[in-house]
Amino acid sequence: MNDLRTDLSKVRGHGAANEGVHEFITSRVSAMILALVFPFFLYGIMKALPGGYEGLIAWAKSAFGAFTLLIMVTAGLYHGRIGINEVIADYVPSTALRSFLLILNAMVAFGVWLMGVMAILKIWLGA
Amino acid sequence: MAGGWSDERPMSPHVSIWKWHPTMLSSILHRASGIVLYIGLLKICLFLAIMAAGPKVFERWEGLVYSPLGAFSFFVFTGILIFHLLNGIRHLVWDAGHGFNAKTSNMVSLLIILTVAIIAAGLTFIMVGSMS
Repeated sequence: MNDLRTDLSKVRGHGAANEGVHEFITSRVSAMILALVFPFFLYGIMKALPGGYEGLIAWAKSAFGAFTLLIMVTAGLYHGRIGINEVIADYVPSTALRSFLLILNAMVAFGVWLMGVMAILKIWLGA
Repeated sequence: MAGGWSDERPMSPHVSIWKWHPTMLSSILHRASGIVLYIGLLKICLFLAIMAAGPKVFERWEGLVYSPLGAFSFFVFTGILIFHLLNGIRHLVWDAGHGFNAKTSNMVSLLIILTVAIIAAGLTFIMVGSMS
């Protein structure tokens, strides 16, 4: 009796964590997206910041600026959530606390994402 | 480690008894910078919300952004972001199965940290310069 895994479990190939390579792949794909968008984000914010409120709004109002910000916030929080999940899973041994922190992280990531996207859309659509 | 550890078999060497080397440092920094960047992204979203709330609300926070503290956080966050970016690209190269030579890896780690310091200082200099 060396192998206690069922045939179905082996076929699914998810291991003890009950999940596959989904997060491994998506964290790397979002990393690539972030690496591509980051130069535009940095250039945009460095050009907009000296202009004060008007400069920043003008950047976020332009189609390219809003697009850059939307991708940065979306891919960034997606990537960040996976990363923080990994940190929590690594360092929090108690199941109850770990579950709580993982759920909290999901809520923070999604809530902040919504706030950011609503702000960008509000500026972009001209409020 | 976790309280209540009862396994008597030897544990693998832990952080405190390792000799520090550059790849170890960059690995730890990658995780630490990731956590800080997550907080930074939350701040960016907050800042966007402040922008969206209109000029009156923005005015209240303007002083903080355009202060020496603002310039310092720009330096820190830009540096951390560029470190995470460069080290992240290196991780992608590792994932693809290349660059596992210990000597090269250690050198790349040091090179990344040095490059980050130079780029972040340069960008902050340009940023602060364009303000005045």
